[in-house]
Amino acid sequence: MSEISAAHDVHDPANQPGTTTYLIIAAFLLVLTAMEVTVFYVHALRPVLVPVLIVLSGAKFALVAMFYMHLKYDGWLLSGVFAFPLFIATILLLSLIGLFGYLAHHGAPNPELNAPRNASLSWKSLASTPAYRSASPR
Amino acid sequence: MAAQPKPLPVHQPSYLEGGGVLGWLTTIDHKRVAVMYAVTALVFMALGGLEAMAIRAQLWSPDTHVLSAATYNAFFTMHGTTMIFLVVMPLLLGFMGNFLIPLQIGARDVAFPRLNALSFWMALIAGILLHLGWIRGGLPDAGWFGYANLTERYFSPGLALDWWVVGLLVSGTSTVLTGLNFFTTIIAMRAPGMTYMRMPMFIWSLLVTSILILIAFPPLTIGLIFLLFDRFFDTHFYIVSAGATPILWQHLFWLFGHPEVYIMALPAFGIISEVVPTHSRKPLFGYPMMAYSIVLIAFLSYGVWGHHMFATGMGPVADSAFAITSMLIAIPTGVKIFSWIGTIWGGSLRMTTAFYFALGMILEFTIGGLSGVMHASAPVDLQQTDSYFVVAHFHYVLFGGSMFAILSGFYYWWPKITGTMLSEKLGKWQFWLTIIGFNATFFPMHYLGMWGMPRRIYTYGADMGWTHLNQFETVGAFILGLGFLLMYINIFRSLAVGEKAPNDPWDGRSLEWSIPSPPPAYNFATIPQVRGRDAWWIIKYGRAGSRGVAAYMAAQASPSDQSFDAARIHMPAPSIFPLVMSLAIGLMGLGLIIDWYRIIVIGAVATILSIIGMSFEYPGFGEESHDPEHAPSAGGIDVRKIGVWSFIGSECVFFASLISTFIVYKSRSIGGPGPEILNIPLTSLSTFILLMSSLLMVLALAAAQRGDQRWEKIWLAGTISFGLIFLGGQVYEFTSFYNEGMGLTTNLFSQSFFVLVGFHGAHVAIGVLWLSVLLGAAMLGKLGKSRALSLELAGLYWHFVDVVWIVIFTLVYLMQTVKGA
Amino acid sequence: MIRIRSAARFASLAAIALAGCASASDKPMTTLSPKSDLAQWIYRLFIQVTLWDALIFAIVVVAFILALFVFSTRVGEAGPASTAASDLTLEVAWTLGPALVLLMISIPTVRTIFRTQGEHAPEGALEIRVIAHQWWWDFQYPDGIKTANELHLPSGRSVRLHLESDDIIHSFWVPQLGGKRDLVPGQVNQITLVANTPGMYPGQCAEFCGLSHANMRFRVFVDSPADFATWQTSQLAGPVSVPPDRQLVMDGARIFANSPCTTCHTIQGVSRGYIGPELTHFGSRSTLAAGVLANTPDNVAKWITDPNEIKPGANMPPLLLAGPKRDALVAYLESLK
Repeated sequence: MSEISAAHDVHDPANQPGTTTYLIIAAFLLVLTAMEVTVFYVHALRPVLVPVLIVLSGAKFALVAMFYMHLKYDGWLLSGVFAFPLFIATILLLSLIGLFGYLAHHGAPNPELNAPRNASLSWKSLASTPAYRSASPR
Repeated sequence: MAAQPKPLPVHQPSYLEGGGVLGWLTTIDHKRVAVMYAVTALVFMALGGLEAMAIRAQLWSPDTHVLSAATYNAFFTMHGTTMIFLVVMPLLLGFMGNFLIPLQIGARDVAFPRLNALSFWMALIAGILLHLGWIRGGLPDAGWFGYANLTERYFSPGLALDWWVVGLLVSGTSTVLTGLNFFTTIIAMRAPGMTYMRMPMFIWSLLVTSILILIAFPPLTIGLIFLLFDRFFDTHFYIVSAGATPILWQHLFWLFGHPEVYIMALPAFGIISEVVPTHSRKPLFGYPMMAYSIVLIAFLSYGVWGHHMFATGMGPVADSAFAITSMLIAIPTGVKIFSWIGTIWGGSLRMTTAFYFALGMILEFTIGGLSGVMHASAPVDLQQTDSYFVVAHFHYVLFGGSMFAILSGFYYWWPKITGTMLSEKLGKWQFWLTIIGFNATFFPMHYLGMWGMPRRIYTYGADMGWTHLNQFETVGAFILGLGFLLMYINIFRSLAVGEKAPNDPWDGRSLEWSIPSPPPAYNFATIPQVRGRDAWWIIKYGRAGSRGVAAYMAAQASPSDQSFDAARIHMPAPSIFPLVMSLAIGLMGLGLIIDWYRIIVIGAVATILSIIGMSFEYPGFGEESHDPEHAPSAGGIDVRKIGVWSFIGSECVFFASLISTFIVYKSRSIGGPGPEILNIPLTSLSTFILLMSSLLMVLALAAAQRGDQRWEKIWLAGTISFGLIFLGGQVYEFTSFYNEGMGLTTNLFSQSFFVLVGFHGAHVAIGVLWLSVLLGAAMLGKLGKSRALSLELAGLYWHFVDVVWIVIFTLVYLMQTVKGA
Repeated sequence: MIRIRSAARFASLAAIALAGCASASDKPMTTLSPKSDLAQWIYRLFIQVTLWDALIFAIVVVAFILALFVFSTRVGEAGPASTAASDLTLEVAWTLGPALVLLMISIPTVRTIFRTQGEHAPEGALEIRVIAHQWWWDFQYPDGIKTANELHLPSGRSVRLHLESDDIIHSFWVPQLGGKRDLVPGQVNQITLVANTPGMYPGQCAEFCGLSHANMRFRVFVDSPADFATWQTSQLAGPVSVPPDRQLVMDGARIFANSPCTTCHTIQGVSRGYIGPELTHFGSRSTLAAGVLANTPDNVAKWITDPNEIKPGANMPPLLLAGPKRDALVAYLESLK
C-alpha cells in the first residue's frame, strides 16, 4: 500500500487526479450503493423511492464519468460528445414511457363497450411464434 | 486577378494508379474506398430504378398483370430499402463524404482508414445479403419500414424477412462506423487555421450528419434485434398475446427513421451549399445562419418521429407536440432555401449541369418541404398519410432533394475524382429528361393522394378515377429512366474518351480544387494553412496574409521544397482484414438464416481472428499508424480517444432504447414471474464488484502513466478478475432464474430483462477480452508508458459499462416494485 | 424554361380547389369533398395550410426567378460578382416570416386535434365495433347486427367507431368521411363523426397489411334515418327462410349446410363459423370479397371457384364444385337478402 501513497502526485500530469482521489471516489461509490440498497429495504421510504434512487444513482453516474473517465479533466469536447447523446437518451426514455403510459390507459380494449364481444375475434395476432413456426398458414 | 493555377510541374502519381486488383481489395485509401462505394451504389441504383419502373408498369391500369401481387410487394419493399440504404446513403456519405472530407479539410485520410474500408465491405455484404432472396427464400416484402407484427414469422414465414433483418443490421453497423469515423475526422483532422466557422458547408453538414447517425441508428438496431429474436429465438417482442404491442417497433423505427431523413437531406444541403457559391462566384450567403440551421434541423429531427404515427392513436397531447416540433423544422429549412437564393442573387453565374441540378434541387425540395408542412398538421396528415400524397412528398424530398443534390455533386466533383470531364451536352440532356420525368412521375401523385389512392397497392378499382394520372406517371417514370440511362452513358463515355480535367475546372473555392485531378494518394504534399472561409479562393485571389497561388503550388509540387518528400509522407499500409472481417460477418448472417451452424462458427472465428490480426498488424500495437501531427485540430487529444467517446455516446442511446423497452414491457407482461424474482443481495454484491473493478482500472492506468509496469499488470489482472467474477455472478443469476422457470421466452418481463442485462453482460465480456489482450501485450512488455493511451481507451469503455450497470441496477433491480409505463 | 415550368406548377397548385369541387362523382375516394363533420374540419384545415404553402412557394419562386434571370450576370459577362455574404435584416425576415406562418398553421391544427379526438363518445352516439382481418372488414352493431365489408350509418347522428384488429395493423380510411385511423391488434382506437349526406362512400385499408392489401376494400352507406331504420329491421330479422318453390335455392341450401363453408362462415340458424365474413344477409350486399367484385351470380361463382385468383393469399380454399351444384350454391347465397 505504500506503493500507492508514494506514487501519488509525483508522476501524474498536473491535470490528472491522483490515487487518493480515486480511492475517495471509490469510497463514495460504495457508500452511495449501500444507501441505495438501504432505501430499497426500508419500507417507510417507499413513497420517495424513485426520486431518492434517481438522485443517488445519478450521483454515482456522475462520479464515475467525471473522475474515472476523466471528463472533469479532459475539456469540453469529450464532455459534449458524451453529454449530448446522454441528453438524447434521457429524452428518448422519458418520451417512450410517457407515450406507452398513455397507450396503456387509453388504448386498452374497453370492456364497457355494449357490442357483444363474441367469438368473431379469432385473435390470430395472439398466435405466439413456436406453435406456428413450422406451419405455413397459407 | 490571379491567374488560373498552372499544371503541376512534376508528375505526382494519382491515387488511381498502381496496386492491381489486390491493391483495391486491400486499400484503405479514403479515395479508393469512395470509388468502390460509388460503383456499388450505381449498380444498386440501376437495380432499384428498374424495380421502380416495373412498379410503374404494373400500375398502368387496373387490369395490368406485369407483376404478381407478391412480386409487386417485394419490389416496392426492395425499391425503398435499396434506394435508402444502398444508394442514397452510400452515395452521400460513403462516396462523396469519404472522398471529400479529407480533401476539403486539408487532411491525408480519414481518422480510421481501416475502419473506413471495413465500413465499405460491410455495406457491400449487407447489400448482397438483402438481395440473396432472389436466390433463396424470396425477396423481403413487408415494406421498407417493415411494420411489426406483419414481420413476425406467423405472418411472414420463409426466409425473405430474415435476409432483410440481417442485411439491415449489417448495413446499420457499417453506417455507425462511418459516422464515428467522419465525426472524429472532422473534429480532429482539420488543417491548421480551419476553425469551425471556416469549414466548408459540406463539412458542416457531414459533421452534423455523423452525429445524427451515432444517435439515430441505435434504436433501429434495437428494433431489429428484437425482431431477430422474435423470428429466430421465439421471443414475443411484437406479439400481442404476450402483452406486447407492435407499436413499439414503430417508435423504435421512426426514432431512427426520421433522423434518417435528415441523414439523407443534410449532406444534400451541404452539396448545394458548395455548388451554388462556386457557380455564382460568390461566398455562401449567411454562412453562420446556414451552419446554425443545420445544427437546429438535426436537433429538432430527433423530436418529430411521432408525425409518422399520427394515425396510430397516440392521443391529442402527443399529436399536438409532434405537430408543433415538426412545423418548427420548416424554419431552419426555409433559411437554407432563402440563403441559397441570396447566394445566387448578384452572382456571376456559370450555367453548368452541376448548377442546373442544384437549381432544380432548390425548387423541387421547396415543394417537398411545403407538403411536409401539410403532414406536420396532424389532422391533415390523417387524410394524406399512407396515400399517394405522401409518396409524392417523400420523393420530392428524397429525389427532388437528395438525388438532385447527388447528381449536382456528381457532375461537380467528377473531374476531381477521375481526372476526366463529363459531357456537358449529355449532362444538360440528362437534366431536362430528369426534371421533366421527375415532375411528370411525382407531381400527379399529390392529386392521386387527394383522390384517395392508398400507397402500396398492386391494383386499384377501375371506378376510382385514378387510371389516367397513373398512366401519365408511368410515362414520366420511363422518361426519368431514360435520363438515368444517359448518366450511365456519360460515365462510360467520360472514362473512355473524356477530355482531361484541369485541377480547378469551375474556379472552385475549397481546398480540393487546389490539388491535382485526380489527387495523389497522400492528397496534400504539404498540409495547407487555412486563412479564412473559402480557403482556396483566398489563396487564388488574395487577402492579407495569403502567400498567393504560386507559393502554394510550389509547396504542393516542387520536390526541391524542403517540406515535400513523398517518401516522408507516412501513409498507412494496406490491409486485407477489413475484407476478411466483412466476409466473416456475412458468413455469420448467412449461417443464421439458412440454419447452417457450422458456417456461423467459421464466421465467428474468422471475425475474432481478424480483430486480433488488425490489433497486431501495425508495429505500433493497436494504433492506426498516424502521427499526432496529422490531427492538428484535435486540441492535443488522440483521435482514438475521440473515436471511443463518440462510440460511447452512441451506446448511450443503444442502452436507452433497451431500458425503455424493459420499463414499458415490465408492466405489460402477462403471466409467469415478474420483477420480484430479482435477487437484490446478489446483485448488490455484483454492483460492488463492478465498481471496484473500475477503481482497479484507474489504478492500472495511473501505474501505466507513471511507467510502473509491475503494478500496471497487477491492477489490470485485478480488473479482469473482477470482471470475470461479475460475469460469473450473472451466469449464476441467469441459471437460477432458469431453474425457477423463467427462460428467455417465458414472458415479456423475462425476455426484455434477459436481452437488456444480457447485452450488458456481453459488453462486460467484450471488455474482459479487450483487457486480456492488453494484459497479454503488457506481459510482452509492449504496453509501456508511451502506450498508456491504449489502456486509457479500454478503461473508458470499461467505465462506461460500469455506469450503464449503475443505471440498470437502479432502474431494473431497485425499482422493481415501481410499476412501469 | 425554368420560368415557364414554375409558373405552370404554381397554376396547378392553385387549381387544387377546382379539382376538388369537380370530382366527387367520378373520384369516389376524394378527400376534397367532405361528407362528415370530421372530414369538413380536416378539409378546412387543409385548405388553410395549402394557401399558406402557396404564398410561401410564390415568394420562393419569385425570388428564385429574380435572382436567376434579373439580378445576376453570367460568367464572362461584364461586372464582377457581388461579394455580399450576409444581410442581417433579410436573414431575420426569412426566419421570422415563416415562423409567423407556422404559428398561424399550428393554432388551428392543435384546435382540430383536440376537437376530433374526444375522450368519450358524444351523447346518443351509435357505437360500432370495426374489426379488421387479413383482408376483410367485420362490423358489429350494438343491437347484434353483424355485417362484413359494408357499413351502414345513419346520417345526422353521431357515430363512434371502435377500431380493433384480429391479426396485424390495418388502417380504416373512408376519404369522404374523414382521416385514417389504424386498427392495431391489442389496442382500440376511435373515430367519431357525424355523416351528413346520404350516399355510398368507398373506403380501403391504408396500412400495408400483406399480400392482398390492395384488395381490402369496403363501402360505407350513409342512409337517411328512415332508410337506416329499415335496413336495421331487415338485418335484425334473421335469415330469410328458403322459399320451397325454388328448387335451385333449396339444393343450394343443402349443399351449403354440408359443405366446409360452415366451418368459417355464419348463416344464422345454419352455421356458426367465425373465421370468415358473416353471410346471413349476403345477398343484400352490393359487393363481395371485401369490395373487390360486384355482387353478381357470375362473380360469386368465380369467387368460390378460386378465391386466390381474385384475392392472392386469401384464406378461403377453392370449392371443388362445378356445373349445377355450383349454380345452386350461388343461387342460395344470392337469395340471402
